[in-house]
Amino acid sequence: MTKFYLSLLCVFLHLEIKAQENYGPKITALGTAGVAIQDVWSASKNQAGIALLTKPTISAGYENRFGLKELSNKSAVFTLPLKNYTVGAIFNSYGIDAYNEIKTGISLAKAFGPKLLIGIGLNYHQLSITNYGNANTASIEVGLQYNVLPKLWLASHIANPNQSKYSDDAEQVIPAHIQFGGTYIFSDQLMITTEFEKVLDREADFKTGLEYKVVKFVALRGGISVNPFKQYAGFGVHYQKINIDFAVASHPVLGYSPQISLGYEF
Amino acid sequence: MNFRVRLFFILLILGCADSVFAQQDNDPIIEEIIESVVANQTDDYDYTELVERLNYYKKNKINLNKTNKEQLQELVFLNPLQINAIFEHIVTNGKLISDLELQSIRGLDLEAIRNLLYFADISAPTGFENFSFKKLFTDGENDLLIRYSRYLEKQKGFSIPASSGKSRYLGTPERVFTRYRFSFSNNIQFSLNLEKDAGEKYWNNTNDQTGPDFLSSSLYVKDIKRLKKIALGDYSLQFGQGLTLWSGLGFGKGADIFAVAKQNLGLKPYTSVNEFSYFRGAATQINFGRFDFTPFISYNKLDAGVALNPLTNLEDISSLQQSGLHRTENELKNRRRVGQLVFGGNVQYNYQKLSLGLTAYHSKYEQNFAPGNALYNKFDFSGNQLTNVGFNYSYTLNNTYFFGEVAHSLNYGFAYINGLITSLSPIVSAVLFHRNYQKDYYSFYNQGIGESSTAVNEKGFYAGVQIKPNRKFGIDFYTDLFKFPWLKFGVDAPSSGYDILGQFNYTPNKTTRFTLRYQFQNKQKNAPEKLFTNILDFEKKSNYRAEVQYQVNSIFSLRNRLEIVQYNQESTTTKFGFLAYQDVNYSPLSSRWSGNMRFTLFDTDGFDTRIYTYENDVLYGFSIPGFQNQGIKFYTNVRYNVKRGVDLWVKYSYTKFNGVITVGSGLDEIQGNNRSEAKVQLRVQF
Repeated sequence: MTKFYLSLLCVFLHLEIKAQENYGPKITALGTAGVAIQDVWSASKNQAGIALLTKPTISAGYENRFGLKELSNKSAVFTLPLKNYTVGAIFNSYGIDAYNEIKTGISLAKAFGPKLLIGIGLNYHQLSITNYGNANTASIEVGLQYNVLPKLWLASHIANPNQSKYSDDAEQVIPAHIQFGGTYIFSDQLMITTEFEKVLDREADFKTGLEYKVVKFVALRGGISVNPFKQYAGFGVHYQKINIDFAVASHPVLGYSPQISLGYEF
Repeated sequence: MNFRVRLFFILLILGCADSVFAQQDNDPIIEEIIESVVANQTDDYDYTELVERLNYYKKNKINLNKTNKEQLQELVFLNPLQINAIFEHIVTNGKLISDLELQSIRGLDLEAIRNLLYFADISAPTGFENFSFKKLFTDGENDLLIRYSRYLEKQKGFSIPASSGKSRYLGTPERVFTRYRFSFSNNIQFSLNLEKDAGEKYWNNTNDQTGPDFLSSSLYVKDIKRLKKIALGDYSLQFGQGLTLWSGLGFGKGADIFAVAKQNLGLKPYTSVNEFSYFRGAATQINFGRFDFTPFISYNKLDAGVALNPLTNLEDISSLQQSGLHRTENELKNRRRVGQLVFGGNVQYNYQKLSLGLTAYHSKYEQNFAPGNALYNKFDFSGNQLTNVGFNYSYTLNNTYFFGEVAHSLNYGFAYINGLITSLSPIVSAVLFHRNYQKDYYSFYNQGIGESSTAVNEKGFYAGVQIKPNRKFGIDFYTDLFKFPWLKFGVDAPSSGYDILGQFNYTPNKTTRFTLRYQFQNKQKNAPEKLFTNILDFEKKSNYRAEVQYQVNSIFSLRNRLEIVQYNQESTTTKFGFLAYQDVNYSPLSSRWSGNMRFTLFDTDGFDTRIYTYENDVLYGFSIPGFQNQGIKFYTNVRYNVKRGVDLWVKYSYTKFNGVITVGSGLDEIQGNNRSEAKVQLRVQF
């Protein structure tokens, strides 16, 4: 029986470590349904979401996946609004010295009128495995968000459409995905967001999340994804210029993955 | 066959005759409420009690200005936040003066108001206000109902000769149910139920058994000074969240996401014909200001299977039987076999929005429970007595209702549940709860909410959201994750799973309603093929449902449903199930006749893809049959109002299966490929 569970664990771990995207605790707590969200972390989720940010913002996060140090993820995002554009930068490092993946990216987003936002991102991926060597490659991402109704945003995002990869024989893939979803803002306090996601070679997923502001500066969040079935919860404190967000993801077999981020608006 | 064909046509003609049809009791509102709360549907559970309760309040409306929390809880469709909001409104604004005032209460959506006004108003008379014994007999209402039903084909159990010595049905093939109610205002109720199931005898006189097969009676009196309730005879008790003590009617996870927070009704008379989970004895609820004390005592005999214990050479209880069927020699032998004594009490403290309760009771059996032999029932209860204690709470803070219960079976394990219902905005409400029921927590009256029907050996987390932007649209959505720390029957390892349900309603006008529902369940169970040992597979089941109801004119309303089930276990191929039906409802406002009929077509790949649907029945009748294999079913249901206070119902159903030579299994088997059932019911009110 132990063996059975061990093998089950390995299967799941294998699937899970393949998906190393990190979108920060705010989006994660919403079940990672962030395609139609506007936040500094949109720089890594859907670049269009940074177009309306008005202040330069930086945020850095740390995730400890399934309580294993080896699967930890360090990430940082930065956005800078310019005259007509907003530029963003992301950094994401996953793994340990023996196995390390680094993703660095820049993005550019623009608002075409008050309703339509479009963003693109360019990423540089580095993979290094001790005793095996290093590999690099680049990928692109494109996203848009559209304000259909006063309270409703629809969005879509495509990543790595040309399926670039490290090399023909490397198993590590740069996921190619298409996401679309919507966010409905019920009130100043309440927002619900959803996202459909299809990653190439994986089953389609549906995610949904909810954010509720208990008081003006404290938000509670919860979300789920159905495939694999995961539950998410978290909170955020936005006090003056400081943002602290926390999230925990729960996988029925593998357990909990907590993450935290600290952000500052200039 | 000839007879059936003739009956079919007679009923068809009756159904289509241009005679004016009468007021209908297959009430769409009641039906909707029941279908939304009845979740884990099983073929044979009797929800009559709820149907009866709702019909009662439809006729004897609750006075919202004089009601209490408990009475509103009985309506099941109001959630605790809505109930609190109504009382808060009355406290701050004084008595309700008009129905329209309800619309200004936060949290009461239009559908809830419509449903509420169906069972309540603002000025109905209540209580012992003008009581006298003379009035008791002149104003008291009597209600007598007799129902007879049977399959028209002969089942195998009835054709085995007595001389063969094989197991066979000893009684007669009809089911007969007699129900008598006396009520005076809302305050005195007497009820008597007498029932025999198909295959049972009218009068048992073998195996030390004498008397009718099932007889249940209760007398219930309310509001005599400090004595808020008195119940003599059969009664049920429902406290807290159902972990410690909850008998009789209870609901599980369903499309009504708020039903997971149980609303305890305390002491109630038992009026159902489910032949288990009730008490027989006496109980009362005494009020001391903010405290309510409910002591109770019960002695009853339960159906049980027994096994000889090789160590003690005594008979042990191997299982308690809940079906209430006593058709064969063996079933009769197990009938009322083990005596059970239960006594205890509950203290409830209610102050404004806070409610705290403490329950303790002791149950003692005449024989020991047999220790489990298989690994999965290693932690089952053994011994012959058990003491349970439990603490429950609920509290409303601003827009959030908190609820929970901690239960402990002395010397054994614990179970607890904590949750909340919150209205996040006027449009959006959410429900969350967490539960942890240990594998050695025991209670004989346990209906804690979860994936299993009892609160034992389960951990889980449930999250649900309801969105009602306006009167036309509604979305309900929930997910539930559950884990079973110990093995279960057919699951030879600790296991886990989850459950997702989404429902979308569109009600463009008062008489039209579209419903879409999706449910997905993923659980582990033993793989069908055994290797060295059983290993677990994921068993996945998706249900897709689409339904539309609409009114053609003031007489006819129609309904269609389409349901598809997709089932697969990892190592097997996907199976499908399909069901579609057409309902025709005929209910003119003023006529002696009314009725409805349904044509169902089903095509499923067997048991795993069976589909349950709620069926209209004679008044207080209730059925949710499960359809499997291929075939069609037709039924028609007719009511005739003979004269004031006298009504007659007839239901006829005919099911034809494709590609089979027998229907049913075991002693229920019928030769041929069809099965038909006739039901006649007479009600006299005086």
